[in-house]
Amino acid sequence: MSDSTAARVEALEALLVEKGIVDSAVIDEVVEHYETNVGPLNGAKVIARAWTDPEYLQRLLADGTRAVAELGFGGPEGHMIVAVPNTPRVHNVVVCTLCSCYPWPALGLPPNWYKSPAYRSRMVAQPRALLAEMGLNVATDVTIRVWDSSAEARYLVVPERPAGSDGLRETELARLVTRDSMIGVGQPLSPAADD
Amino acid sequence: MGGRTEFFGPVIREPDEPTFHEGWEGRVFGISNFLLPLLGRNTDILRFSFERTPREVYLSSYYRRWLGGFEDLLEQAGYLAPGEVDARVAGQSAPAGRRRVSRARLAATSALVRSVLHRTLPPWFAGQVVPRALGTARPALRRGRFTSGDRVRVRSNRAEPYTRQPGYVTGKPGVIVAHLGATVFPDAIAAGRHALPQHQYTVAFDGADLWGDAAEPGTEVRVDLFESYLEAL
Repeated sequence: MSDSTAARVEALEALLVEKGIVDSAVIDEVVEHYETNVGPLNGAKVIARAWTDPEYLQRLLADGTRAVAELGFGGPEGHMIVAVPNTPRVHNVVVCTLCSCYPWPALGLPPNWYKSPAYRSRMVAQPRALLAEMGLNVATDVTIRVWDSSAEARYLVVPERPAGSDGLRETELARLVTRDSMIGVGQPLSPAADD
Repeated sequence: MGGRTEFFGPVIREPDEPTFHEGWEGRVFGISNFLLPLLGRNTDILRFSFERTPREVYLSSYYRRWLGGFEDLLEQAGYLAPGEVDARVAGQSAPAGRRRVSRARLAATSALVRSVLHRTLPPWFAGQVVPRALGTARPALRRGRFTSGDRVRVRSNRAEPYTRQPGYVTGKPGVIVAHLGATVFPDAIAAGRHALPQHQYTVAFDGADLWGDAAEPGTEVRVDLFESYLEAL
């Protein structure tokens, strides 16, 4: 299928160039930008800053878009970023059941599993079982709060700072923050595992 | 798709997944950057077109349904004639859509697309200019009907042909936990109807209220819903 799809996309792009609708050189730049500049490393810097600067954490929780922008990140699918903090009592996890909404400027484009019908259908109905399947066992006395990003807000989970990370600098902390931990389907790496 | 058991299955993560799995996915993504401003600056117009693709196309892949949706929208808007892409693939000549875009407009769109293609942006630009340019927030004529703590029920019907009211919360009781301001109303704009901006709220639902006996204990789902979807309890 993908050979014929590739040929179809090539034909469409050629037609759109002829009609003055797209510029192929700019499309090259868009692809390169999303492959190299936009990804979970951006969000990891945001979380590491929030872990080390309590005032920044407050700004992040009050207005995620502006706090993320303080570090220079913004763009499509980032016009209303809402940061939701994990606590000892509440674990947050994000899904989009209607399509595949995702905070692009902080996390990059969504991975295939996030866009899969299985994830989109199950996460709202059986989050505990699905998280366990994905390797994250949430204690029964911890509430699981599922955010279905059905409208404007794009949710970014602020995971809890891992134990044993006290002496680490912001750049070292950022290396512990995984994409999965900012979606809520995983935890940050532990400093020991990073050795 | 929320809660629909026909879609249940394993969720498989791919280690070191690339941004785009094949070259054409990146091209479709890049094309979308130009089509959004061209076709109405509203993502719901695009989402509605993806939802209208045939079921096998919708379920085949994320960028495959984007492709199907874009072709439909470009045809409807007169930029493509029916069969024009098929003919080009087959190397045949065919009637062409008559609409074109001026060089000045393409240059303006290219500048807009390029404006965010930087590793980092100035904070004022990323935090204020871009959200205003790309966001759908609009002033509402009146204040919102609900405030945090209000108990509500989602109305029992869903709007046709397009809505952002998920099926699984339809008819269910919940509690308002946040007011997100007012935005353009997707149900109307995607279907080409005019409508006033609507207030938007985050509503918390207890798992047991959504799934009954099948609910897992200690689970809550929060969904962002427009005011007209909600009734006071």
